Amino acid sequence: MLRDLQIWLVNSTVAHSPVVDIMRTAWAWPIAESVHFLGLCMLIGCIGTFDLRLLGVAKRVPIAAMHRLIPFGILGFVINISSGLLFVLTEPDQYIYNPSFHIKLLFLGIAGMNAGMFYLSSYRQVFTAQASLNAPLRAKVIAAISLGAWITVIVAGRLITFYRPAPCSAEDVTWVLQCSPGKGLR
Amino acid sequence: MNIDPFLLWLESTALSQWVVGSPSLFAFPGILALHAIGMGFAVGICLALDLRVIGVAPGVRIAEMRRFVPMVWIAFWINTISGVLLLIGYPTKALTNPVFYLKLLLIAVGLMLFGRIGRRVFDDTAGDGHAESPALRRLAIISMVCWVGAITAGRFLAYTYSRLTALD
Repeated sequence: MLRDLQIWLVNSTVAHSPVVDIMRTAWAWPIAESVHFLGLCMLIGCIGTFDLRLLGVAKRVPIAAMHRLIPFGILGFVINISSGLLFVLTEPDQYIYNPSFHIKLLFLGIAGMNAGMFYLSSYRQVFTAQASLNAPLRAKVIAAISLGAWITVIVAGRLITFYRPAPCSAEDVTWVLQCSPGKGLR
Repeated sequence: MNIDPFLLWLESTALSQWVVGSPSLFAFPGILALHAIGMGFAVGICLALDLRVIGVAPGVRIAEMRRFVPMVWIAFWINTISGVLLLIGYPTKALTNPVFYLKLLLIAVGLMLFGRIGRRVFDDTAGDGHAESPALRRLAIISMVCWVGAITAGRFLAYTYSRLTALD
């Protein structure tokens, strides 16, 4: 049965994972959370300010110059993918059944595709323009979507803890994605 | 000084009980989410300014970064208000934990450094000459350390408290 397969899979990965051994030491989880928050700040501070520049804040700053901060936003993103994986690999049930986590992933995808759109459509245009350029409407729409998507990612991420799935017993389960198998069953 | 009577009173107020007990998403979860958004913008923009001061993105005239200062203050007030609401919700949890005072201290030093760095670079008409100054770079690095510390202290509040409510 799918559910048995899943319990076996989670048990065999979680039980033999060095990540889990580290994350279950005394302060590892809160430290990883602090790092996750720092990555969030770097991402908003560098990608969010670039979005604000496209939307018209600090128009005298050349967009290409502002873009030099983007690698640090990407560094924040990489920090958060890494620290985020630590959480998911340690407590997979708490995330894969969590609707708030699903929404977070959805908006991460939207933010990613939106950034891809920027580099495919507006990048060349806004980079070769004059210093005090007013970004074209298309770039502004992309910037607004980016800000909205990242803020939604923050909100959904912060709400994950309020949507933790309850462990369920074998009899209640009709579909594997309804609830977490629960530690008691392992 | 025993502040327990004050804590008991505060926790008995309707506002405190709404923050903690309301099933509404706009109560405790929404306030926490606002606090995270405000952190992202306030700390994020301060960090971006610090990065610029230590030499990242040299094409950006530092003085022009003052345009982002209003966002820092909007985010700061969002976090002051959401933070006070969280404090009203769980006053004992925060006020009996030394880590809470460390967090406030680090935020105060971080904001003071933001102001000092701003005074040095925002009204600069002569260009970015003194952005190279080692003294200014030092302030930027101390500022980054303060924000990392404030974030860490804030997160550790959830793990280091000794009493959740005045009844504990």
